[in-house]
Amino acid sequence: MIKIEHLRKEYPGTTPLSDVSAEIRDGDVISVIGPSGTGKSTLLRCINQLEKPTAGRIWLDDTEITSPQCDLCRVRRRMGMVFQGFNLFGHLNVIENIMLSPVDLLGTGRQEAYDRGMELLRLVGLAEKAMSWPDELSGGQKQRIAIARALAMDPEILLFDEPTSALDPTMVGEVESVIRDLAKSGKTMLVVTHEMNFARSISNRVFYMDEGGIYEEGTPEEIFGHPRRENTRRFIRRLKVLELKIESRNYDFVDMAEQIRRYCERNRIPLKTSARIQLVFEETVEHLLRPTLNPPKIYAAAEYAEETGLAEWEFRYSGPRRDLREDGDRLPLSVVEGTTVRTEYSWQEGDELPNRLLCTLLST
Amino acid sequence: MKSLFCAFLAALLVLLAPAAGPAEASVPAEKGAYSRLEDLNGKKIGVQTGTSFAEMVQKRLPDATVEFYNTKADLVAALTGHKVEAFVVDEPVARLMEAENGRITYLPEYLEEYTFGIVFAKSEAGYALRAEFNEFLSGLPKDALQNLAIKWFTEEEKNQTMTDPASLPAKKGVIRVATESGYAPFEFMRNGKVVGYDMDLIAMFCESRGYGMEIVDMNFDGVLPAVQTAKCDLAAAGISITPERAESVAFSDPVYTGGTVLALLTENRSAPGGIIDRKGLSFWQDIQASFNKTFIREGRWKLFLEGIGNTLLITLLSILFGTVLGFLVFMACRRGNPVANAVSGFVMWLVQGTPMVVLLMVLYYVVFGSIGISGLAVAVIGFTLTFGTTVFGLLKMGVGTVDRGQYEAACALGHSDRHTFFRIILPQAVPHILPAYQSEIVSLIKTTAIVGYIAVLDLTRMGDIVRSRTYEAFFPLIAVTVIYFLLEGLFGFAVSRIRIRTNPRKRRHSRLLKGVNTHD
Repeated sequence: MIKIEHLRKEYPGTTPLSDVSAEIRDGDVISVIGPSGTGKSTLLRCINQLEKPTAGRIWLDDTEITSPQCDLCRVRRRMGMVFQGFNLFGHLNVIENIMLSPVDLLGTGRQEAYDRGMELLRLVGLAEKAMSWPDELSGGQKQRIAIARALAMDPEILLFDEPTSALDPTMVGEVESVIRDLAKSGKTMLVVTHEMNFARSISNRVFYMDEGGIYEEGTPEEIFGHPRRENTRRFIRRLKVLELKIESRNYDFVDMAEQIRRYCERNRIPLKTSARIQLVFEETVEHLLRPTLNPPKIYAAAEYAEETGLAEWEFRYSGPRRDLREDGDRLPLSVVEGTTVRTEYSWQEGDELPNRLLCTLLST
Repeated sequence: MKSLFCAFLAALLVLLAPAAGPAEASVPAEKGAYSRLEDLNGKKIGVQTGTSFAEMVQKRLPDATVEFYNTKADLVAALTGHKVEAFVVDEPVARLMEAENGRITYLPEYLEEYTFGIVFAKSEAGYALRAEFNEFLSGLPKDALQNLAIKWFTEEEKNQTMTDPASLPAKKGVIRVATESGYAPFEFMRNGKVVGYDMDLIAMFCESRGYGMEIVDMNFDGVLPAVQTAKCDLAAAGISITPERAESVAFSDPVYTGGTVLALLTENRSAPGGIIDRKGLSFWQDIQASFNKTFIREGRWKLFLEGIGNTLLITLLSILFGTVLGFLVFMACRRGNPVANAVSGFVMWLVQGTPMVVLLMVLYYVVFGSIGISGLAVAVIGFTLTFGTTVFGLLKMGVGTVDRGQYEAACALGHSDRHTFFRIILPQAVPHILPAYQSEIVSLIKTTAIVGYIAVLDLTRMGDIVRSRTYEAFFPLIAVTVIYFLLEGLFGFAVSRIRIRTNPRKRRHSRLLKGVNTHD
């Protein structure tokens, strides 16, 4: 359906896409993942020509849309796009937002466009908001309207550019479930997202983008379960493992706590478990290690296994051989003991951080 | 609400107070202090801009400070407002002022004798016309000029008749006469026509030589340039003959010889003067008299009507053309066309950097100097240019406030660039623009008050003309101000209606989904 050949996009100073070739088949639901700044959105925007590619060609069926003779407006009508920032038209109410393009561009009758619009609004669950104004809606509602607006043109493919990134966490679910329903219905879709569980569950193919192109491609099982290449592995691991380094007594404790909170949120870790993760880090690093090491050199890694619901903290620290459990302050130690099922100490001779403490946390 | 009203009333009274009665201003001179010219040495003396009187003052009263005012009406206002102790004026004018305004009198002693001449261009055509005029002058009967002076300076109004310039047959072409009609008895407005000593004389000349005659009324500052740039064929505006002026224009033989005197407040003169005693009038009678003088006598309301008409015409056309111009230029520059942007950027820089008066004068005397184009048209062109740049700037600002995502969303849906602009971007930009647009219109109306410089008889100029006849300082000014307020209110109302109509949220519910059956 869409064929991309040696696509290249340069900006003054950076080249987000150096060479991308890919084929999107009818009915594909493709998740595009990867670290930020690797050209995921740029790829999407090149496909519908919101960004002019520097080089390379793109075909939509038999039409070469990168050719200068191509009627872009006509091509774009066949490709719906949903933006991170919703971009609902502020001067039109909800139903007008949906009716505008079919009426103006496809020549659909107003009544027909209205009926179809209401049908789509019911599909995204917002029929009662037909006469509301965009700024009266929540972010999640706006994004659902934006999806309905894109669908009103009956596009052959839908492009989602980080559709939930600008949303409050509580509203991510409603938008994801609308997209999920669409995916099930067999619509061809390309979704740029940072929600890995979502990407994994809706798509039949995943593009992992890095180093200016599609670095690795495969089924969700392949990419998330058994990534083959180095960067993909590191990326997937970083999703699951939180790594923190402390090299000063005055480290930014607030920032670390925030990183832990975000990690827990990203991995949908149950509240109780995430509280324990937070607690064990705080007691171990702040109360047991920091006062005794000067300067402290600590590496901490948290990992959560969704299947078993078990969370683990690994702490490595500098200094002579020292098992915290034997000589640490009693009070924080008792807290750590109370929240873990198992702790394990080992000594790695010759390592920069030879002390290693492994804590397996209580699960719910 | 009530306190607001009181504050407004108080402000109004403060404004009206000087108009109503003798103002007790802050710097009262000693009563009856002046009886000779020398008494005024070291004082502030008012002089009309563009006249040659400043030199005379410096010669006779070396310690006096000269202050410049644009019109005689302003001089009167300055005197009654105690801004100056006296002002320089020709004796016939002073005599008239004394008759009209009981608070003004003059010292009969001449500051200097002078002669008035008719001004021609220093060109072949100008010299030829001058020769013809001088020939006509020398051919007049011996006491013709004296009789003319008696007729215009002392006779009753009903005897002051002259040939209507419009009735003169233009057998040899039309003479365009530059003048400033605020200079009774030499030239002044009566019943909508410019009459007076100079006008009568020129009409006699035209009649005897078979010329038609067209009077072009403008600010005194513009009179000489009008002749120099051949906008007019001659100037007759009580212009005294000085060597300095003779360097740049050609003078006819003297048409009037008289003297300048110092006009001052009656209360400051040692010997009582003044013909009309107005002391007995009450506050309301006073206002009534002022109203009568300003609006009713000699049908002066017609002048105001004409002035309002011209002001409205300039404003309306400038708004219309300026908006269209600004919009077209914006559309040309919108896509970032480098040529269009460079050109419009340069013109905007030029137009916005030039003071409006200067821009108008340059347009009138230089750019369109050689084309016979009326001041009204030049005013419309000038204000169209400035308003166009304003509209351009407003559009740029307003469209800039619309989020870039709106373009992208419309593009991604397949709307063309043009369609996106008119259907998506502009409707969202307009509500941002209109409040500023409204205030720009108000400021445009106010700025049109300067078109008197290029011979347009707008509301302000008409107010000046009336003031120069009544020698009332404040009543016509306040009347003009009130009329401006009404005009501004009118335009403001019109724009606020548009604001309501263009606000997408204010659309009536029935219009929102027109032609759609929503019951399903």
